[in-house]
Amino acid sequence: MVLVWLLAIPLIGSFVVLFSGDRAAKGVAVGFGLIEIIAFVVLLAHGPADINVPWIPEWGVRFHLGADGLSLFLIGLTAVMTVMALFASSKTYRRSYFFWILFLEFGMAGVFESLDLMLFYVFWEVILIPIFFLLTGYSGSRGRPAAMKWLIMNLVGSLFMLIGIVAVAVLHTQPFGALTFEISQLTHVPMSAAVAPWVFASFFLAFAIKAPLWPFHGWMPDAYSDAPAPVTSLLAGVMSKAGIYGFLRIMLPIFMPQMRQYQTGLLIFAAIGLLYGAFMALRQKDMKMASAYASLSHMGMMALGVFSLTEAGILGATFLMVAHGLIIGGLFVVLGFAEERTKTREIGAMGGLNDDAPRLAAYFLFFALAALGLPGLPGFVGEYLIIQGLVAHDVVFAVIAGIVLIVAAWYMIRLFQGVMQSVRKGPRILDLTAMQVGYIGTLALLVLLLGVWPAGITSHAAPTLYHAVHLLATKGGASS
Amino acid sequence: MQGVAEIVLLPLFGAITIGMFKGLMPKKLPGIWASLLVGISFLISIAEALKLSRLPVHHRFLTGAVFPLITGFGPAIHWRYYLDPLSGLWLLVITGVGMLIHVYSIGYMHDDPHKARYFSYLNFFVFAMLLLVLAGNLLILLIGWALVGLASYLLIGFWYQRPSAVRAAKKAFVMNTVGDVGILLGLTLLYVHYHTVSYPGLFRIFDHQTPSAFFEWTAFLLYVGAMAKSAQFPLHMWLVDAMEGPTPVSALIHAATMVTAGVYLMARLYPLLRLAPDVAYLVAAIGAFMTIFAASSAIFQRDIKKVLAFSTVSQLGYMMLGVGVGAFSAGVFHFMMHAFFKALLFLGAGSVIHALSGEQDMNRMGGLWRKMPWTTWSFLAATLAISGIPPFSGYFSKEAVLGETYNLGHPILWVVGAVAAGLTSFYMFRLFFLTFFGKPRDASLYEHAHEAPWIMTVPVVILGVFATFGGFLKNWVNQWLAPTFSLYRGAPHAAMESGPIWTTIFTVGLAVIAFFIAYALYIRKSTATNAASESGPGRWMYRAWYMDTVWTYLAVVPFQKIGNAVMQAETGILATVKGIGTVVWDWGEDLRPLETGYVRRYALSMMVGVGALLVYYLIRV
Repeated sequence: MVLVWLLAIPLIGSFVVLFSGDRAAKGVAVGFGLIEIIAFVVLLAHGPADINVPWIPEWGVRFHLGADGLSLFLIGLTAVMTVMALFASSKTYRRSYFFWILFLEFGMAGVFESLDLMLFYVFWEVILIPIFFLLTGYSGSRGRPAAMKWLIMNLVGSLFMLIGIVAVAVLHTQPFGALTFEISQLTHVPMSAAVAPWVFASFFLAFAIKAPLWPFHGWMPDAYSDAPAPVTSLLAGVMSKAGIYGFLRIMLPIFMPQMRQYQTGLLIFAAIGLLYGAFMALRQKDMKMASAYASLSHMGMMALGVFSLTEAGILGATFLMVAHGLIIGGLFVVLGFAEERTKTREIGAMGGLNDDAPRLAAYFLFFALAALGLPGLPGFVGEYLIIQGLVAHDVVFAVIAGIVLIVAAWYMIRLFQGVMQSVRKGPRILDLTAMQVGYIGTLALLVLLLGVWPAGITSHAAPTLYHAVHLLATKGGASS
Repeated sequence: MQGVAEIVLLPLFGAITIGMFKGLMPKKLPGIWASLLVGISFLISIAEALKLSRLPVHHRFLTGAVFPLITGFGPAIHWRYYLDPLSGLWLLVITGVGMLIHVYSIGYMHDDPHKARYFSYLNFFVFAMLLLVLAGNLLILLIGWALVGLASYLLIGFWYQRPSAVRAAKKAFVMNTVGDVGILLGLTLLYVHYHTVSYPGLFRIFDHQTPSAFFEWTAFLLYVGAMAKSAQFPLHMWLVDAMEGPTPVSALIHAATMVTAGVYLMARLYPLLRLAPDVAYLVAAIGAFMTIFAASSAIFQRDIKKVLAFSTVSQLGYMMLGVGVGAFSAGVFHFMMHAFFKALLFLGAGSVIHALSGEQDMNRMGGLWRKMPWTTWSFLAATLAISGIPPFSGYFSKEAVLGETYNLGHPILWVVGAVAAGLTSFYMFRLFFLTFFGKPRDASLYEHAHEAPWIMTVPVVILGVFATFGGFLKNWVNQWLAPTFSLYRGAPHAAMESGPIWTTIFTVGLAVIAFFIAYALYIRKSTATNAASESGPGRWMYRAWYMDTVWTYLAVVPFQKIGNAVMQAETGILATVKGIGTVVWDWGEDLRPLETGYVRRYALSMMVGVGALLVYYLIRV
């Protein structure tokens, strides 16, 4: 039942916000966000959960929600980062803003909970709308074009995915009879060599655009840099994980033989994105743009983990999704603090903020270090596991990932130093308020906890992933 | 477990409390509090060392898992500690010398408005370094490894308003990340093959293996980590720039402890070096090369700290040489002696800089012995020690390294090291004479110079005692380390033995001759210090053989070029997206008359239906 509550709370909350005044909107939204966290804690205490009822019986579509080791912590990530985004949002925003944020939380929680392909698709589309409006209504000058790019690219992606979903379900009826969209039952869909690549590509495109992975990231730079910082933190921190989650939840079980077949190509493709994002981040003058490309590079890292098709790599990608969500989300929130105080995003125009705002600098440094994968913080654990998977599969990709870690250290330190150190060029600024320290500090503690005790997640995630890996062994064994 | 946890966590506690409550603390408290915690850590370390010494020789280590780090697939990796004589020795030096440098810092940083932040970082460093040496597996070691790198970064860039400090900090961080990645790849290779990264687990397996290419690669990757941290060619230039940090930091992190982590790692992995003889030889060869390469760079420097920085690189070469040829105890012994005399040299230099209101150029020093007697005579002891003049500490450890190098059949490496020892004596006495003797070259600076306050001189004098008499610990160190190096196969010649007597006479003779040359050049004739470094080979040495330039052209410029190429590709991708967007938008515009409102949505949903039908029939056919 708590699974339904996790969807209902943000949905109800969003409408309550809509009917409350503009002034109260932020408070109400934060309240619902916190209730959602409580619901998540209840879920965590209960362990794995499952709800499965018929929805459209004629088509075999079911309302199937579940939380297992793969999705559990992503649901938690959604709840935590939404509250962070709400806290970090300006009180002056109208209620529609908070409505869309909660609505987005509803959509994202739905994506992570769905175990039925059709249901998944519905939530997948739900996500589009709030982000579109948040981009058009609350961003800077490039917001509207960014929103259009976002909408068009993702619509194209999900269109093809819908075709793919139908195709998979229909193909499944041939040997097995009844029409079903149950992900767990679609594991042995027979696909002829002529059809398989197209169906594979239809899913792949949707997930790659959403993540985004290179070269499908055209919508990303403007959207990430021009959206308000809290929205960017949700996009990069949570929404992007939907893409990688799609690979793990849907593509691994359904397309394992194809994944094996195209593995080298997929790895090369992910590795290019990894390098590409890192070098782009190194050359940016806008601090949010630099972090956006850093995030693109990280998505490539997760994709590498998945495509390594090894236990460690998949576990690493799963862990990194959660870790990266907290870290990059936190980083964008901190960048928002800096932008709000200096009214600029240009690295060259800042510098020396540490003088006036040592607390801001401390949190900036913490999240920058976490983002560059400092050992002892959770980003490193994910990268370590992924590299271990790559070493087991093909050392070349491990070496590429290693080189990117060096570039990452470079671009993140460059970013930190450019903004916080050297001599201050502008007027005095204020340090973080007690309230801001309160929530960003809580997030930092959470990140630290995951860094010291990643086993808290990996021990839960591994049994679920074992299922996927088991498929690796049996189905993949034949083709390789 | 209990004692070990406290040793590591007390400095961390200090770092956190100072970091959080520095606003509430009285001005003097952070320094006292930080020193006190490291002091307690030192006392517990002694107690743990005593506990260790009572264990039977064949089982002289304490290890255990604290709680799981990563579980899931495969065997779990734990937060594991491992305390044996080798890590115990590092423990004592880190906390002991660390405590002295903390106390010294109270005086040195007295006037700095941000000294609370300084002590918080310094305590954090001690925590990270202890984590590094007490780690029971390579993954925890890597965490400590990266955290000391972070502490080093923070302290090099402590005065972050200076652009040069910011640049130096970035360089140190990135170069050290190269090393971190090396260790990461090395340890994953080991885990993938042997499903463990704990020392006892790995070493038991290694005992049954024979040398192979796999081990060479693994050892090489781990050596890359050691290379970055211990400033071995070609990853050494960061250490020279690291002198931008406060001088006590240079003493603690960039001389006595952190930069020796590479030596620790190579000594710790001696069972692996047995399986990778080529890498072991590489370690020794680069070490020997470093001794002379860095010593030559030190000769014409004008900045007192730069001389000491190159000297540290050179001395690290000796430690690596010892470890590489298999004289593990000798390498480790040299680490210990070096910690004493080099910490002293930096602290002494710090006192001089402090006395001259921040001046570091030796051209403006001279004659300071009258003003600073305590500093001068302690400094002399350390200078004699590093020059290898008997019976000072450095003589014993350097002779142990060089003697073993010769004994184990590496005469060429021995010659290189011995000549470098002569150079060492020359540049150190040059430094000593230019700083403390001759005529004061800057009258006003000299006028205001004064002996350091007692809180700075006392640690210096204590270190002076160790720098003078430390050599007599040789036999004790030999016995103390023996259980570590006899536990697994791979260190048959770990114990220190002297070389033939003529080798000693040769080395010491060179050092004495170098002393007289320095005396003749800088006392008798009081030669100007700049002329030789402005042309010919002197210029090459002064610029440290242009390694920075080489790095710029081989790494930085290509990276920037790749960056530019990627930027161009990105322009292409974004233009494509915009093009497609425009096409779709125009579709929408064309269809607008059909329906009002969300035309594109309708158009697209129509496409969905059509597409679905198409696929359906395609499959049916």
